[in-house]
Amino acid sequence: MIGAVEVKSPRSYLDSREGILSWLLTTDHKRIGLLYVFSITAYFLVGGFFALLMRLELLTPTTDLVSPETYNKLFSMHGIIMVWFFLIPSIPTTLGNFLIPMMIGAKDVAFPKLNLLSWYLFNLGGLVTLYALIRGGVDTGWTFYTPFSTSYSTTYVVAAALGIFIAGFGSIITGLNFIATIHRMRAPGMTWFRLPIFIWSHYATSLIFVLATPILAITLLMIGFERVLRVGIFDPALGGDPVLFQHMFWFYSHPAVYIMVLPGMAVISELVPAFSRKPIFGYKAVAYSSLGIAAIGFLVWGHHMFVAGQSIYSAMVFSILSYLVAVPSAIKVFNWTATLYKGSVSWETPMLYAIGFIGLFTIGGMTGLFLAALGIDVHVTDTYFVIAHFHYIMVGGTVMAYLGGVHYWWPKISGKMYPEALAKLSALTVFLGFNLTFFPQFILGYLGMPRRYAAYPEEFQVLNVLSTAGASILGVGYILPLIYLIWSWKYGKPAGPNPWRATGLEWKTPSPPPQHNFETTPVVNCDAYDYEAMKEELELV
Amino acid sequence: MTEPIVSVKTYALIFTSLLALTLTTTLLAYIDLGVFNMVIAITIAVIKATLIVSFFMHALYEFKLVHVIIAGGILWFLILVFMTLGDFLSRGWVK
Amino acid sequence: MSESSSLAVREQFATADQQRETATVGMWVFLVTEVMFFGGLFMSHIVYRLLHTAAFDRGSADMNILLGSINTAVLISSSFTMALAVHASQEGKWRRLAGFLFATMLIGLAFLGIKFTEYYQHYQDHKVPGFWFESSGADPGAFQMFFVFYFAMTGLHAIHMMIGIGVLAVLLFRSGLERFTSAYHNPVVIAGLYWHFVDIVWVFLFAIFYLPGLHL
Repeated sequence: MIGAVEVKSPRSYLDSREGILSWLLTTDHKRIGLLYVFSITAYFLVGGFFALLMRLELLTPTTDLVSPETYNKLFSMHGIIMVWFFLIPSIPTTLGNFLIPMMIGAKDVAFPKLNLLSWYLFNLGGLVTLYALIRGGVDTGWTFYTPFSTSYSTTYVVAAALGIFIAGFGSIITGLNFIATIHRMRAPGMTWFRLPIFIWSHYATSLIFVLATPILAITLLMIGFERVLRVGIFDPALGGDPVLFQHMFWFYSHPAVYIMVLPGMAVISELVPAFSRKPIFGYKAVAYSSLGIAAIGFLVWGHHMFVAGQSIYSAMVFSILSYLVAVPSAIKVFNWTATLYKGSVSWETPMLYAIGFIGLFTIGGMTGLFLAALGIDVHVTDTYFVIAHFHYIMVGGTVMAYLGGVHYWWPKISGKMYPEALAKLSALTVFLGFNLTFFPQFILGYLGMPRRYAAYPEEFQVLNVLSTAGASILGVGYILPLIYLIWSWKYGKPAGPNPWRATGLEWKTPSPPPQHNFETTPVVNCDAYDYEAMKEELELV
Repeated sequence: MTEPIVSVKTYALIFTSLLALTLTTTLLAYIDLGVFNMVIAITIAVIKATLIVSFFMHALYEFKLVHVIIAGGILWFLILVFMTLGDFLSRGWVK
Repeated sequence: MSESSSLAVREQFATADQQRETATVGMWVFLVTEVMFFGGLFMSHIVYRLLHTAAFDRGSADMNILLGSINTAVLISSSFTMALAVHASQEGKWRRLAGFLFATMLIGLAFLGIKFTEYYQHYQDHKVPGFWFESSGADPGAFQMFFVFYFAMTGLHAIHMMIGIGVLAVLLFRSGLERFTSAYHNPVVIAGLYWHFVDIVWVFLFAIFYLPGLHL
């Protein structure tokens, strides 16, 4: 080598290679995570725009802003985009992709090329769905119930289903990749019970990805087959049974709820110990409860079909099993709360989101128990009570956790700090806006306002106005982080390797990390969340 | 763990067994045994599948995780079938 | 670890064994997703068969058992040659490997040829749903549904066969370039897993579509 040898730390993953192609052809799990952030943010804005139009339409009891037909398309496309193109991929493909290899001490995921392929499949599926949207949308609801979707709807059902079908393979590949990675790529000394809970929860999520998503794929294929060829599969006139479609659809879509919320729990299980300066309470219970949720989550799908004509005996079994799934969920909530007890709790933005998650998830989960009860479910089926319930889980749970996680790991991802005061303000805005939007919907639903209608009786107007007002506050709460996070990418203070003084291998690398994460493969010799040891270390310094 | 190697002789034995089972199941299907026709057909198919998985696909010789994955796949397929059948059978539609 | 095998270990892995095990885990997990993918159709078929047993048996009686059983033997033979290809790759004998890969592809193509012959016969009999289907007997909807499932499931299986033949073609090309050694041949083993899985699917398709009508 000619000239002086300069001792330099390896360049970060962000500037190790340059140019747009180095991003589009990257196999680096961290860059793929960022590609996913970019994609799902775009889909979130599209889906959010539809939500905004719906809430505006519901300001008044009559249909004045959009026609009922357009309204049907709005809620369908809102559901399709938010579920499959934002919530399902949200945490696993972004934070999961970025963090799983780092947390287990690996250089990359097991199959980096497949990882990139999954991003392309996801976006191809998204583009096909957007094509359906631009051509005129879909009006079946995100659930594609037959016989409406196969025989009567005149909208672009096949294109939308095809888009979801393609994106589904992206999900399958992600899940497969995570499973192989977590099983076979752990650093020396990183035993199963030394893994952060983040990994356990993502492992459980990946199991659902690979076990449930293929059923969605084949179900959508059957819908397309029946619709295009006009042959009987679910059509009762030709010996079919529409309830069979619902069985298949919910065999995927109920576990898919856990695809959305388990990664949220993964994030919360990291945030709560980090900002309480304590190991998570009952590590093994929390770890096993992730697997418990994934497993029992597959046995409860029939609770979506209590009024659909399934046999009453079957409904009773599904009802009881649905209560069972509350047990591992409650274990998690109790353990997070117990972690706070006697901890040195501090209230940075990620912790605000985490506490918000615990409260909102608890409300969402408890109202889920109402819905699992056969008698009450008949009363509130297809009302705004259901809407409020699952938004408390998906938005109050998953989106809060996603935002909390993004703030927590932002210093690691970007190398910069976000503006703390503004971030706290936006976290409070999200919490207030969310509750104002969706709490009135519990009351509306209990009073009997049905979902999926553009018009409603006048006595429901006050609560609907409150809900719409909340939605606009919520919108502001979502736009703010988008702005200041992008701002801080350039102008934020440098974060240093471990701004939160947190445990975990990801914090032992520079921020942003080098391309292969670790210069030498780390050797693990302690449990996760070893905050006691860290306290001693800090005192020594 | 290093890669399992199965001998050509074993492969040949499995191959002939599979052909013999195919002939058996086809011939048995000509006899009217009522509901047992289906039971026999599925049982022989399961035996054939087990032979293929164990020997052609080396599963018998692989590490434990592979066995867990296979068992998980079968279990989840059975969950799908039996919990759905639970509905259809308890409706009283099937004689 | 020999020099040639360390060259074939990708950067995210520490050893060749780790790479082999990870790929094996990945493939088996993929096969589980395939089980669930076909499983949705198998489950629907089971439900509808229970509801319309007589009509499904009548549909099954229209199958060509001669071609069907020959095709089963053909596919099992292709699995046998695939297993021999894996064995040759493990011994590092690339000529034998190429030969058995080629044989597997040819037998796979023969299977597809026989399958499409059957499809053409069904077409002539007006037994293709959506294309001038002619129903007969009581319960015409359920009778047609038997054929809907027959075409959907054997069609999906045929698509998997075509993908498999494509994968084998790539492997054949690479084995011709002498890319596989006794130390590095995992792609052959992984492709073999896929090929055998597709064979297993057919074993069940044969049992549920061809056999039930034979005693009528």
